[in-house]
Amino acid sequence: MSQTKEELKLELKKHIVEYLNLLDIKPEDIKDDEPLFGPDLGLDSIDSVEMIVLLDREYGIKINNPTEGRQILVDVNTIVDYIEANKK
Amino acid sequence: MYITDLKAISPQLTYDNELLEGKKTTHEDQVYNVIEPDYMEFIPKGLLRRMGRAIRMGVGAGLPLVKAHSDIDAVVIGTANGGLEDCIKFLNQIVEYDEGVLTPTNFVQSTPNAVAGQLALMGQNRGYNTTYTNGGLAFENAVLDAWLLFRENAVDKLLLGGIEEISDYNYNIDSLAGHYKNEIVNDEDLLSSTTKGTVCGEGASLFVLEKAPAEYYAKIEDVEQITYPTELEFDDCLELLLSRNNLQVDDIDTIMLGYNGDSRHTPWYTHLEEHLIPNANVLSFKNLSGDYRTCSAFATWLSAHLLNGEKAFLPHIELRKKHEKEISRILIYNHFDEVRHGFILLSK
Repeated sequence: MSQTKEELKLELKKHIVEYLNLLDIKPEDIKDDEPLFGPDLGLDSIDSVEMIVLLDREYGIKINNPTEGRQILVDVNTIVDYIEANKK
Repeated sequence: MYITDLKAISPQLTYDNELLEGKKTTHEDQVYNVIEPDYMEFIPKGLLRRMGRAIRMGVGAGLPLVKAHSDIDAVVIGTANGGLEDCIKFLNQIVEYDEGVLTPTNFVQSTPNAVAGQLALMGQNRGYNTTYTNGGLAFENAVLDAWLLFRENAVDKLLLGGIEEISDYNYNIDSLAGHYKNEIVNDEDLLSSTTKGTVCGEGASLFVLEKAPAEYYAKIEDVEQITYPTELEFDDCLELLLSRNNLQVDDIDTIMLGYNGDSRHTPWYTHLEEHLIPNANVLSFKNLSGDYRTCSAFATWLSAHLLNGEKAFLPHIELRKKHEKEISRILIYNHFDEVRHGFILLSK
């Protein structure tokens, strides 16, 4: 049975918490439309590289173009949309 | 050079100085892990989440000193292995992902100079910043560098530290090399053990050193080191250290020795206390900290407090009492694996 979009979102949030070692944040605390690089989660440029590694390892998706990356790594919704469109 | 401030994270309650009140924490395993403070109280979460164990300990002990002393001119750290756990994660990823995309954090945090760099960044310190990684003499080399910097009048105030973490990797490798005991030995019985191997420790001990302060904990008079010595070369090394400081053997009232319960390592310490400095009181420290390559930094932390008159913990480390004189000069002697031998001389 294929994974639903909601299941994919939760899985992605779990990976984000694990890869970025977010302290005191549970996957369900991350809102789907919450800006990842805003003041709440406090992610920075190193985290963006970690996110690229995450997408490569977990979903086989490579982001090579920095401009493209800025449009994808906005929030959980935009990343999940990109995964669904490009997952191998 | 004088120790004017100091902080330690160790397998004892040293961060809040409870050990200094005489409260000893008992260890009954082959591994003595540090008792960590709540780092979240003073290290920003965004930084803390990326820090491995060695970095957390080093920054945890160093940051309060850096904040209290904004006029530090240099940072000099000794760590044999640095953030080895992160280093191994990074190396494993190179293999696992066939040299593909690698996560940057493990690499950044695994370099031995990450602690000194992080402390400089957090303290906005743009001065001299160096890390020594000379195995069992990493801390002694950091002390030597600090000593030379003061001698050259290059600094007035300096942050010095010795840091080591226990990682699964280095514990397993060192275990295979026979460093650690096969049997469980309580820390009360460790130093009287007659079997091979010791216990594995870790810790971060940091010091603010100043050139000519009005008040201080202790003076670091000198440091000396020798590798692969014969007994004669070892004796000459100690004699050189004493003679260049115009000291006679009996001027050393206290020796703090790195007895670690390993029957192979004991003869060097026994030789020093029985034949070279026979009249000094003998103290230990590894029954509190475990053994690790920069544990002489912890011995320096203990010695500085003793020379400052804080003695409530003395019964936990007193091995042999040969006189009733006040502690006024301590010689720390430690060797790692019989190869690297270091001396640190402190006084009131």
